[in-house]
Amino acid sequence: MGQRMADLSIDFAGVQLRNPVLLASGTCNYGQELLPLTDFARLGGLVTKTITPQPRGGNPPQRIVETPAGMLNSIGLQNPGLEAFVEKQWPLLADLDAQVVVNIAGFTVEEFGQMAASLEALAGIAALEVNISCPNVEAGGDNFATRPQTAAAAIAAVRSRTQRPVIAKLTPNVTDIAEIARAVVDAGADAVSLINTLVGMAIDVEQRRPVLGGITGGLSGPAIKPVALAMVWKVAQAVDVPVMGIGGITSARDALEFMVAGASAGQVGTASFANPNAGVEIVEDLYAYCDERGIDRIASLVGSLR
Amino acid sequence: MIDEQARLLSNREVAADFYLARLNAPHIAVRIEPGQFVNIQVGAGVAPLLRVPLSVSGADREAGIIEVLYEAVGPKTRALSQVGPDAALPTLSPSRQGLAAPSEGTRVVLVGCGICVPPLLYWGLKLRQRSYQTALLVGARTADKHLSNELLAPAADAVHLATDDGSLGHAGLVTDLLQNELAEKGPCAVYCCGPHGMMQAVAAICLEAQVPCQVSLEEYMACGIGICVGCAVELATAKGDTDYGRYARVCVDGPAFDARQIKWGNAWPT
Repeated sequence: MGQRMADLSIDFAGVQLRNPVLLASGTCNYGQELLPLTDFARLGGLVTKTITPQPRGGNPPQRIVETPAGMLNSIGLQNPGLEAFVEKQWPLLADLDAQVVVNIAGFTVEEFGQMAASLEALAGIAALEVNISCPNVEAGGDNFATRPQTAAAAIAAVRSRTQRPVIAKLTPNVTDIAEIARAVVDAGADAVSLINTLVGMAIDVEQRRPVLGGITGGLSGPAIKPVALAMVWKVAQAVDVPVMGIGGITSARDALEFMVAGASAGQVGTASFANPNAGVEIVEDLYAYCDERGIDRIASLVGSLR
Repeated sequence: MIDEQARLLSNREVAADFYLARLNAPHIAVRIEPGQFVNIQVGAGVAPLLRVPLSVSGADREAGIIEVLYEAVGPKTRALSQVGPDAALPTLSPSRQGLAAPSEGTRVVLVGCGICVPPLLYWGLKLRQRSYQTALLVGARTADKHLSNELLAPAADAVHLATDDGSLGHAGLVTDLLQNELAEKGPCAVYCCGPHGMMQAVAAICLEAQVPCQVSLEEYMACGIGICVGCAVELATAKGDTDYGRYARVCVDGPAFDARQIKWGNAWPT
């Protein structure tokens, strides 16, 4: 390995990242399982699996099915709940040499605010990523992320109860994602992350039943990258806050595509399921790419689409 | 947990669509236990995207070799069956709970079917080395879906086969063989691997007969290391008294479980 020259650091809405590669929510649990298999000190950070006010058991199996160049999941926000997270998961996360973004969700506007308020006393949380867009769990029918008004209401509730950077995670399952992005920024989001999974379905023809216990699930993996890229490009032009690119990032080249499209950083998700060290390998390849091409600061590539 | 570049030593068809792969994986070989699985990456990571979890059917610690017996049924196992010697296959040894031995002198009955028998072969061999008396009961649809006696025999002092169509051994279900075993020879420790319905039936028979039963479970999973929370199995009694503990992860909380821990169906006694 030659001498490393490039500066991969990114200032993401005030959060100082060593490099622009984070592990996505729901694909690294709360970090502990990955400790023997990857090195958090070489990542930009990680985003926890979504925490809800109450513990959740999640959806009945089957929860996973592989699809062409992707997979569907129907986990159903299984999580220990806020109280157990603060007591058990957070102390272990706080020990990691990494920026930890905590992903939160609620089922009413008030719950979003309560989640933010309850975490405010915990030292060391880099930012809150607000899951207003999980397609797996019904919140009185609609989900918050599909309408500008409800998306904004959830974000405003979080905004009013935290001093930390607030990242609104957006769903692609909408007509105009830029409209939702503008609404959450107007409501006080410091950044947006996108995309969450696309609603999808798999059917067992022999049994004429849905494959997944939750009937529909969320599609992720390389199959959704072109969709994610187009949406990141669109949103980056619509808002003046940093954008986190998510959706099928498997290689450094994928990450660079998102940065060129306008993302300041990216999250690696499904790729970690096949290769638990995928994030670190992408970081290494980003160094190699920048060094080979004489790029001093990776930040200079953000939004550089001609 | 360890992710190792395993080297494929051999990969041969041992029955109709059943393959036996031998892999050089010294770090995994020294720690893998019967009932556990390895998660193997076949291909470059887009199609197929995820690894394939396969039960280990044998390991030689000194030689640094593990064996997997698998049926070429899906895209990944079919692709694996075409891989030739010397290929490097990223292999993750993720699972935590292997099968646990019964108290000394207990008679052991291993119940499997078709391709679900590999963990029991590894387990039977180990138990025999420790002087346990073992019987292996295997069911399959047809005679050609049974592994050869050469593969089955080392695992047990006695092997009994059943086929749905009567083309080999007992005409009927492997659970008939278990009922006979229990009626004729009395108390034993049962270990079971198979499809959900078969394991549920075996668990029910063991509960009724008041004999211990451990199962090695399989479930669809994305990662095999506990981060996707996909391979959920519902427990008879939730851990830690909250809804969060309703499901266990097969990959890291198992894959071996006491059969009484599992909620096999909605009507299952708790």
